[in-house]
Amino acid sequence: MSRLLNILVVDDDAANAESLAELFQMDNHRVIVAYDGVQAIEAFSLNKVDVGFFDVMMPNKNGVDSFMEIKATNPEARIYFMTGYSADDLLDKAVAGGALGVFSKPVDLSKLLQAVESEAA
Amino acid sequence: MVVGAEMVKAEVKKRLSDPDVLLGILDNLPTSIVVKNSDLQFVYSNRAHCEIIGKSEAELLGASDKDFWEPAQAKKFLENDNLVLQQGIEFDTEETATNDAGLSTLLLTKKSRLTNSDGQTYLLVTNTDISTLRKREDQYKALTETIPVGVVQLEEDGTIGFSNQLFNAYCGGDISSEGRHVFINKLGSAHQGFPGLACKFETDVVVAGLGRRSVIAISSGWMNIGSSGRSAIISIIDISEMMELRRINEEVSRLNRELADNMAKLASAQDELLKKGRMEQLGQLTATIAHELRNPLGSVRTSAFLIERKLKDKALGIESQLERINKGVTRCDNIITQLLDFSRTKQLFCQPADLDVWLTEVVEEEAKRLPEKLNLDLQLGLSGKHVPFDPSRLQRAVINMISNAAEAMSDLKTPMAAEAHITISTYFKDDHVSVRVSDNGPGIPAEVLGRVREPLFTTKSFGTGLGIPAIEQIAVQHGGRLDIASEPGRGTVFTVWLPMKALEAEMAA
Repeated sequence: MSRLLNILVVDDDAANAESLAELFQMDNHRVIVAYDGVQAIEAFSLNKVDVGFFDVMMPNKNGVDSFMEIKATNPEARIYFMTGYSADDLLDKAVAGGALGVFSKPVDLSKLLQAVESEAA
Repeated sequence: MVVGAEMVKAEVKKRLSDPDVLLGILDNLPTSIVVKNSDLQFVYSNRAHCEIIGKSEAELLGASDKDFWEPAQAKKFLENDNLVLQQGIEFDTEETATNDAGLSTLLLTKKSRLTNSDGQTYLLVTNTDISTLRKREDQYKALTETIPVGVVQLEEDGTIGFSNQLFNAYCGGDISSEGRHVFINKLGSAHQGFPGLACKFETDVVVAGLGRRSVIAISSGWMNIGSSGRSAIISIIDISEMMELRRINEEVSRLNRELADNMAKLASAQDELLKKGRMEQLGQLTATIAHELRNPLGSVRTSAFLIERKLKDKALGIESQLERINKGVTRCDNIITQLLDFSRTKQLFCQPADLDVWLTEVVEEEAKRLPEKLNLDLQLGLSGKHVPFDPSRLQRAVINMISNAAEAMSDLKTPMAAEAHITISTYFKDDHVSVRVSDNGPGIPAEVLGRVREPLFTTKSFGTGLGIPAIEQIAVQHGGRLDIASEPGRGTVFTVWLPMKALEAEMAA
């Protein structure tokens, strides 16, 4: 029996963030939504987050930089990235820093749900 | 012997035995003949001799040279006569004789001693008037001084008969026989057979005072033009100025060609720069568009998924509409991918790797996306060779080639033939490796084949026309090239050639 997760979705595109939140909520996970990197860091500090799905290019602070900050205080943080185009340098840094994987947008939802399932297992 | 010759010879002999005939012949010769006794008195004078002196034979007999020539002249004649009479040596000279009337004549004089059967000695003197001949010779010599050609007459025995001033100048001013021979030998070393064989050649000679000169040397070869032995006329034409002009002309032509080349290079560099600038702009624009479009595409896809799940059990019959939405999203995504591939101008990240091993993984992954009926052959020929390449870029090129081939065969109006197959092979030649994708599809018509490399050119209803330009761009960015061969009805072959050695710029990257 898979457990229910606290999932953080970070994307400056509200439609994207909210539709993904709804997708995860359908499976009864608890979803927190953030719309930029600063909010993401704040959300991590205020909540117990099991897994995060981060957009890369965002205002205030990009996904990779906020991931690095979160990792610094939360070495166990489990985070995936979602990106509209390959920003190689940033993503290389993210993967080297311990990101779990990168989904290209528009995200292949069956793969995304597989990832959530494996986190919940 | 010629018929009749014997008879004529006998007749001549018979006639000559008549002294009057013989004397008649002697009188008719243009050469003056005079015989002197041991006291140097004239004992015989033919008509030509009488004419030189201006007296009849009767007036001459018993007289001697001193009676007719001016004293100094006569003294010189008599001295020479005595020398020949006493010592018996042959005398042969050219001399100017001035008679007592003051008339000068150039004479070729031969003197020899005759001894009679009774032991008496006589002197035989012959004189040939060579004034006209010499005048002509002087004319020719004067002529050679008026032409811009060095001229020398070389006797076969090595003596120099004549040379003009220009020729002497080539001898560096050393107009001794040796000096002129040094120059002739210089020419001889440049051409076999010179000067004996008639010839004409160009050569360079270093001349004291003139430096290096380019000349044309012409020899007549040995021929009988002198009185004794053979000689050759050699002409030297100085073509240094002409050669210099020719050299300057060639240099100017070369510089012109170089200039034209450089202009072309500059123009192409400008084009390249312009193109690069445009590509960079396009790259930035595309990246922005890609990001801006993929976000809404993502929410469209997620929303369609949510709708599907929410209405799953309601049997509303909206499955095909949802599928259309999903397919539309995928197609848009593919177009964005192609645009990104084409407009990508970033430096490659090349790492040497086993291309065959890498290609196997790429092809296996891609095979999952292809129709099952399509046979995929992989023929690896690099036997573990490591080649520098950018995996993500080359993967795009390989996928584009494979999907082009697959689409070419699914474009057939009839269902895909059972034997439809794509062969992916690697191969190396010299310092290049190739990745080749060939299909047995319908092929590309010649008029289309000429345009498939053009960006935005497409014959597909859903094509961006960027797939093939992207393959080519990736090949070129690697320092390689793309070859496309196609035969309508037989199939198409795409070959990407990559250098085994990385471009320096990429190595640095």
